[in-house]
Amino acid sequence: MNFTEAQWLALLPLLITGASPIVVMAAISVKRHHWWNATLGVSVLNIALLVCAAFLLGPMVGLLPPFVPQQITPLLLVDGYALFYMSLILATTLATGTLLHAYMEGYQGNKEEIYLLLTISALGGVVMACASHMASFFIGLELMSVPLYAMVAYPHKSRISLEGGIKYLVLSAVASAFLLFGMALIYSQSGVLSFAQLAAWASATGGGTVIALTGVAMIFAGVGFKLSVVPFHLWTPDVYEGAPAPVTGFLATASKTAVFAVLLRFFVDGGLYRYVGLTDVLTIIAIASIIVGNVLALFQGNIKRMLAYSSIAHFGYLLVALIAGGPLAIEAVGVYLLTYVVTTLSAFGVVTLMSSPFGERDAAQIYDYRGLFWRRPFLTSILTVAMLSLAGIPLTAGFIGKFYIIATGVNQHQWLLLAAVVAGSAIGLYYYLRVMITLYLLDPQRRRFSAPLHWAQQAGGVMVLGLMLLMLLLGIYPEPFIQVIKAGALSIH
Amino acid sequence: MSFNLLFLVFLFPLLGFLTLAFSRGRISENAAAVIGVGSIGLSAALTALLGFQFLTHPPEGGAYTQLLWTWMNVGGFAPQFSLRLDGLSLVMMSVITGVGFFIHLFASWYMRGDEGFARFFSYMNLFIASMLFLVLGDNLLFLYFGWEGVGVASYLLIGFWYKDPANGLAARKAFVVTRVGDTFMAIGLFILFHELGTLNIQDVMARAAVVWPQGSTTLTIAALLLLGGAVGKSAQLPLQTWLPDAMAGPTPVSALIHAATMVTAGVYLIARTHVLFELSPFALQCVGVVGAVTLVMAGFTALMQTDIKKILAYSTMSQIGYMFLALGVGAYQPAIFHLMTHAFFKALLFLSSGSVILAMHHEQDIFKMGNLRKHIPLVFWCMLIGTMALTALPFTSGFFSKDEILHEAYLTGHTDLWLAGLFGAFLTAVYSFRLIFITFFGPERWRKESHAHHDAHDAHADEAHHGLAANENPHGAKTLDHHIPLLVLLALAIFGGFIHLPLDGVLPHAVIADHHKGGAFIEYLPLIVTLMGIALSWYLFLKNPALPERLKNGAVTKYIGKFWQSAFGFDWLYDKLFVQPFLWLVHINRNDIVDVVITKIPNAFHSAHGFFAATQNGRMRNYAFAMGVGACLVIVVVLL
Repeated sequence: MNFTEAQWLALLPLLITGASPIVVMAAISVKRHHWWNATLGVSVLNIALLVCAAFLLGPMVGLLPPFVPQQITPLLLVDGYALFYMSLILATTLATGTLLHAYMEGYQGNKEEIYLLLTISALGGVVMACASHMASFFIGLELMSVPLYAMVAYPHKSRISLEGGIKYLVLSAVASAFLLFGMALIYSQSGVLSFAQLAAWASATGGGTVIALTGVAMIFAGVGFKLSVVPFHLWTPDVYEGAPAPVTGFLATASKTAVFAVLLRFFVDGGLYRYVGLTDVLTIIAIASIIVGNVLALFQGNIKRMLAYSSIAHFGYLLVALIAGGPLAIEAVGVYLLTYVVTTLSAFGVVTLMSSPFGERDAAQIYDYRGLFWRRPFLTSILTVAMLSLAGIPLTAGFIGKFYIIATGVNQHQWLLLAAVVAGSAIGLYYYLRVMITLYLLDPQRRRFSAPLHWAQQAGGVMVLGLMLLMLLLGIYPEPFIQVIKAGALSIH
Repeated sequence: MSFNLLFLVFLFPLLGFLTLAFSRGRISENAAAVIGVGSIGLSAALTALLGFQFLTHPPEGGAYTQLLWTWMNVGGFAPQFSLRLDGLSLVMMSVITGVGFFIHLFASWYMRGDEGFARFFSYMNLFIASMLFLVLGDNLLFLYFGWEGVGVASYLLIGFWYKDPANGLAARKAFVVTRVGDTFMAIGLFILFHELGTLNIQDVMARAAVVWPQGSTTLTIAALLLLGGAVGKSAQLPLQTWLPDAMAGPTPVSALIHAATMVTAGVYLIARTHVLFELSPFALQCVGVVGAVTLVMAGFTALMQTDIKKILAYSTMSQIGYMFLALGVGAYQPAIFHLMTHAFFKALLFLSSGSVILAMHHEQDIFKMGNLRKHIPLVFWCMLIGTMALTALPFTSGFFSKDEILHEAYLTGHTDLWLAGLFGAFLTAVYSFRLIFITFFGPERWRKESHAHHDAHDAHADEAHHGLAANENPHGAKTLDHHIPLLVLLALAIFGGFIHLPLDGVLPHAVIADHHKGGAFIEYLPLIVTLMGIALSWYLFLKNPALPERLKNGAVTKYIGKFWQSAFGFDWLYDKLFVQPFLWLVHINRNDIVDVVITKIPNAFHSAHGFFAATQNGRMRNYAFAMGVGACLVIVVVLL
């Protein structure tokens, strides 16, 4: 391989992320030690994140000469877009690692391997963020998903985790089969696999053969599963409920972000906006996801399941931006994913801290949070802000995200989708506020869960507190973040 | 020293609020006092520096705008947070932080020992921050934001002693009544935004003159709606009923919020948007009439009150009436001038009354006081000077400002308003000196009262601190945190009239054809009327106290007195007009016909939830099957 210096440099975040599972594995083999092994893995990821951030922000502030985009083999394209999503995925992974550390303390079996799985999964996500080719798309997806099966079922003596893991494994395999078969069908027609070449082929020939269209549809069925949009959403609540709380958080944020990032790139670079039928089907999927997700969440008594349903609805909102397209779409997706990730992570962060250290079951029932305010005011305020942000109340991150979605829809006159967004948000208020009310009710005397007294001194506590501040900052002063996202936007052809 | 420190002025109180709010009972009283008073002190010091800079090196165009940040910039929607410092906002800012600081200092004495000490200062700091935001925001939206912020702070502080349900009711009443005004104002803002496409104050003023012809109906409606907001906040007719009840809050709150600053926000709003009112003579006339009617009415009511704070509350209402009157005749500068001097002397009066109340052990009825000048001489002098300024006697600040208002009202040809103002001056003299004569002169009523009090309230043994004990004398405070605020405000109440306000670039002068109309007699008339009022007051309440007693029981005068005392029956009227019909509607609609329809919606969602939840049966074979069907559907739709 004859890579130029710039290409090696651009590949650096990937290489460092790739090194982290090896480091963790080596560390475990030398000496099993929970804190030490976890810290080592997390530090390597930290370096990767710093490199990503430096590459993304350096040229913005004039410290580094711009050297992206760099195409590295046909498989990977490292550009501002990839750097932004890599940073987001790495930051999410780091947050998950911090939460896992607090959570796994009470786990009786081997604690350390979960960091191995986590770092491999992060590598998959990072690959997807810069995938510009069907092969890297698929490899990244599998690299990310396979460790996740194990992570979901990590407390393998717990029936519910094991059930969740197996469901995820089997159904995910079905989805991958759809995806792979879809790619094969497209390849059989076009003979190319890279997104750019695919776009070129489609514009040269029209690309409208029945087989190619079927292929595209099957790819969407596969991706729809990963994003858990209707009608591929049925697995979501069971897996979310079964997985350990920090893993659920990772599943809901990093994994979905990576898949959406590659989907958007595939859509834009692969020239899929030309397929009107595809836009129609996405419109139906988006509306169905918003309505079904929100309605299912309405009377849910389990907070993990509720967040699962809410994430179905949120990806429905996000699809609105994808469908609407137009100049704002890329920016809107970036902003929305950023706000969604920050908010969801803090919600799962609180659930994790409540459930930590690992015990008989997670603090997943909304009842477990009754009167939390009187015991844990800070933890409660974090969950409160997270709920407000999920509901999209102004001055929190969620509002900015939703505002972008609506602005994108209005720009492109997608009134039907906007109506669904508005209706969905209205329904959503009910169940988000219901959680909030529970937090402030009178304290029941029977307490099962109580976060450790000095939670704030733990890294996890500090981290969720930081996330809360970030949620507020994003709501009050989002402009700097928007500038970063603009620097990492794709250009729509 | 440069202007870009401006944002710190409102950041200090905000940080003070957050610190105190989050330290929730974990810090000592002294620490809370240092944070709560210190934050305002820093703001006040900074304001002084900025003011000095502003006066010696005025910014270009007479105003400095600081862009704090652009919220977001999405598809042409780019709301900006920016602050604007010009002559008007400088005056307001100085009053708020300056008077505010001394009231905070006084409050640290007054509230000592209260269990909610830190909470009190957190609310007070929140108030100052919101009020500064109100006057510094360069956009009507942010003005509105601050407007609501002060409303919330006012609500919290009126109901500060929340354990007494009456205080909660008073707080709620203030909140709801001002909300009526706020709603008018919000609609007014919608109209402005709809018609002009901006809410930036400077742009609105510039465009209004271009878009609307003189006296246009839309403009008049918008201006009247803004006036609706202003009368709500400033307790003017017809939304004045909340202010007397607001006295339920601690006395420093009454001084700061319900006398010196928040209630004058309406005056500020109209002065700030004066271009709109200039373009609509009818709206401007309404402003003047509202002010005139309120000032006379409040004067009559103050005459009949027995609660020391309620007298001051009605007097505040009446003085703000003067400011509205001034605005109504186009005398914007005198209006703001009076706003400032009023802040000085009314804060002084309220703080002194707070001192009186504490000296009397939480007794507020002036007819249970008397001859207090012997016992608390410092407070007596403060109260006397404050009253002299209030009645606009010469050599006090009130003289300059009120005289200017009345004179300009006369010169601009608003003889009717001028007459009302003159009559108001007479009433002011009567009720103000009534307060002085009864409280500080005459017999020591508390001596015999205390016995009666004791007997009548035997059941309330737990309220023993209420009123003086049998052989106790009122005793004044001896600490500096009590004396300094009073003495500083005393000085301001006397010399505040010599301050020259830098308003020339912001507010126009009244249009006066003949500066010498009427001659010296007209200029001296207010003073003569005031002296007559004082004389009458002296005769009625000191020389011949039996006469008012007789009047109180007279056949006709009895009812007039009752009528005045009840503030012209507005509470009764609103109860009949709004509250009762509303309750009646509630009563006949007990089964809630509308709700029957609305309940269908959640029921529908409930069924939908049940249906979708049935699909989540946990069986993997069903899930996989659904995926297959879903994929087929996707393929079919894409191909079609």
